[in-house]
Amino acid sequence: MPVSELLIGGLLLGGLYALMACGLNLIFGVMRVINFAHGELLAIGALSTVSLVGGYAFPFWAAVLLVPLLTAAIGLLMYKLVLQRLVHAPMIMTLLATYAISTILVNAAILTWGGGYKGLPGVLTGSVQLLGVNVSVSRLVAFLVALGTSLAVWWVLEKTRFGRAVRSVSQAPELAEISGISLDFVRNATFALGAAMAGLAGVLMAPTFASDPQLGARFLIKAFAVIIVGGMGSYPGAIAAALLLGVVEVVGGYFTGAVIGSALLFLLMLAVLLVRPRGLLGVGART
Amino acid sequence: MKTLAILLAAGFLALTVPFWGTDYAVSFTIQMLVFMILAYSWNLIGGYTGYTHFGQVCFFGVGGYTGALLVTKLGIAWYFAVPLAALMGVLLAVPLGMAMLRLKGPYFAIGMFGLARVLESFVLGFDSLTQGGTGLYLTPLSNLKPVYFTLVVLALVMMIATWRLDNSRLGLKLLAIREDEQAAEALGVRTTRLKVGTFVVSAIAPAAVGALYAAYLGFIDPPTAFSPVMELTTIAIVLLGGMGTVFGPLVGAVVLSVINELLWARFPEGYLAIVGTLILLAVLFMPRGIVNLAMKKGWLPAGRGLLRQLAREDGRAPPKPAPPLADDVKRVQA
Amino acid sequence: MSGSDDILVAEKISKRFDGRVALDGASLTVKRGSITGVIGPNGSGKSTLFNIIAGTLAPNSGRVYIQGQDVTGSSAAEICRRGVGRTFQISRLFAEMTVMENLVAVAHGIDDRAAVKRALELMEFLEITFIADKWGSELSYGQRKLVEIARALMLQPVIMLLDEPFAGINPRLQNRIVEHLRALCAKGLTVFFIDHEMRIVLSECDVVYVLAEGSVIASGPPERVRDDPRVLDAYF
Repeated sequence: MPVSELLIGGLLLGGLYALMACGLNLIFGVMRVINFAHGELLAIGALSTVSLVGGYAFPFWAAVLLVPLLTAAIGLLMYKLVLQRLVHAPMIMTLLATYAISTILVNAAILTWGGGYKGLPGVLTGSVQLLGVNVSVSRLVAFLVALGTSLAVWWVLEKTRFGRAVRSVSQAPELAEISGISLDFVRNATFALGAAMAGLAGVLMAPTFASDPQLGARFLIKAFAVIIVGGMGSYPGAIAAALLLGVVEVVGGYFTGAVIGSALLFLLMLAVLLVRPRGLLGVGART
Repeated sequence: MKTLAILLAAGFLALTVPFWGTDYAVSFTIQMLVFMILAYSWNLIGGYTGYTHFGQVCFFGVGGYTGALLVTKLGIAWYFAVPLAALMGVLLAVPLGMAMLRLKGPYFAIGMFGLARVLESFVLGFDSLTQGGTGLYLTPLSNLKPVYFTLVVLALVMMIATWRLDNSRLGLKLLAIREDEQAAEALGVRTTRLKVGTFVVSAIAPAAVGALYAAYLGFIDPPTAFSPVMELTTIAIVLLGGMGTVFGPLVGAVVLSVINELLWARFPEGYLAIVGTLILLAVLFMPRGIVNLAMKKGWLPAGRGLLRQLAREDGRAPPKPAPPLADDVKRVQA
Repeated sequence: MSGSDDILVAEKISKRFDGRVALDGASLTVKRGSITGVIGPNGSGKSTLFNIIAGTLAPNSGRVYIQGQDVTGSSAAEICRRGVGRTFQISRLFAEMTVMENLVAVAHGIDDRAAVKRALELMEFLEITFIADKWGSELSYGQRKLVEIARALMLQPVIMLLDEPFAGINPRLQNRIVEHLRALCAKGLTVFFIDHEMRIVLSECDVVYVLAEGSVIASGPPERVRDDPRVLDAYF
């Protein structure tokens, strides 16, 4: 039955969106920075996986561990070199800065891997039966790891001391500082974590989708749509919205064609921005 | 007055290029003029009013396709198609502006970005009309001079309009919106009306230029019409040049076009990275742009001179021109 | 209901935030040409009351009248159009514009030349002409306060709403400001403000309202309020 197939397909895609969006949201929450370069971290994650696993015959699980470290390092570099200096700057300057960094990263990716598509065949092949639907192993694994990681990070945010520090910096930086939390450490750590999550999403995508340096832009806009629908700054909102939008994209795409299908996400985002800017669960967006 | 003289001189110089320049020079100047006009338009809503956004290509693309469709499907000559494309831009900008300008800073910016992607998808999708990804082909122009002159005139119009704005109370009101919209609103500035009006005006030239560009290239397709790189370059120009100034887009367009040419010649693979780095350097070390630096050093006449002029005539205030602000991204909290 | 001399009337204003009562039936009347001040300890609700009158907040119940017109729930912009000029507690000057530009930007209904003339007159009146060309972000704290007042006066308002105009400035400047305001009141301007600085309120106002825990506990000329036991109680 196509409907359940579509639904499951949508949810599986949503899991990846959740991982992307949660990382983006973390960074936004702590730094009020919309990280335009997040998509590039995803692309670099995917392409690095292709190189490691496809080119150097690393096992896939090694990529799962190593590649996020790489993207975390890139993220830290971004923060230390550029964004740290812009902490008190007007938002538009940080937006422009991350926008600029994203173009630099795209260029770097094109130079490293060429501009074409790269697949990763032979990894996580095969399919399983899930609720009467044929599901590819790679998508299922991607979904489980992505959603699992998102939920794990959520647990860290809610239940650990570090998570509490992150949340207090998000909500009231001055108060957090007074109570002894090192703003700098939290920002560094959050940025690295968010970047790692983007990289991980890239790793998980590599076996299923074809990777190219422009992958970042496409995914980024969808991640934006997710956090706007879910509510900027709301972590559970991002997860819920990700799953919802994954379904919308797949189901919508089935009925209206792939091109309009991806436009549906943006239309939903625009509708939310105009009608309920807070999103499902987030903070305000209106003037 | 000095400012106007400089602008007219630049315009005059541009007008003469087809007569002494090579075809290559003409092409180069056309590209530069296109970016200059886009930059001046973006400067209105982004630089003066403070509503920066990543969606100007919406109007460029819609204008481009409107023009191309009018020419190919209805056989209208390009010089009639261009104003109609501009009209289309306005028709799109009015409802869009009223809807989107209700959003705060980054949401507005991203919303416009998303809108550009939506429009790109639609154009790609309705391929029965637009030929989708293949693009539309127009008959190549035998003579580029009319297009060239139209662009120069358009650029001059934008420059002079910006100059008039810079020296008017309207300009001050837009700046007030940029600085503190709520306070401006509470003090009687009609912010909604002004924002939407400026947004609509900022859409006219891009739409017209889109159609002109399509005629010039003889071709248009979704990536060309809604190119994020074009968006990035436009913003880079205004930022590098100086947001909310009269000379900013002019200087930025010239500088970036020259860098562009040099890069394409020597390092085509590094173009994106270099533009990106330039923007980063501008954001970090020169957020007010080249022009503000130049004004501080006295190389360019200071901006917004109307009030000083009137004060001088009133006889009460000393006629000392104010040096522009230091290059410092940090804003002092009032 | 209200005489033509009552420029501003607030009737039984109540406001709660998430279950916490900020204002509970607060009422006041401001007469034309007077300087009326509202004081009260922290948490008394004076900022809330001020913002409701200025149009930044809407009350849960009660009415606000300006020059006899009901403006309850009107936006800040609409209130401004009714002849109200206001300053902000934390000054909200236009940072990257000069003082002159700050003033001229809000002028309306007159041409450029007249606007510049008015701005120059106001600067002269407040003795701040020497900073006309300084950027909003370059001013000292006291200068900011003065420019805020000048900017609101550019609107030629019927009533000025000042949000803690005397906070954090030295007594000499405070007195200067009062002198300027008095001169304007003599010409028909009405001044309404909230502040913490009891000294200035109790010595310079024509009428004082004392707010505590959301309602008016005392009102009248300063001499009467000064000795009211309820006021002493509220503060100590």
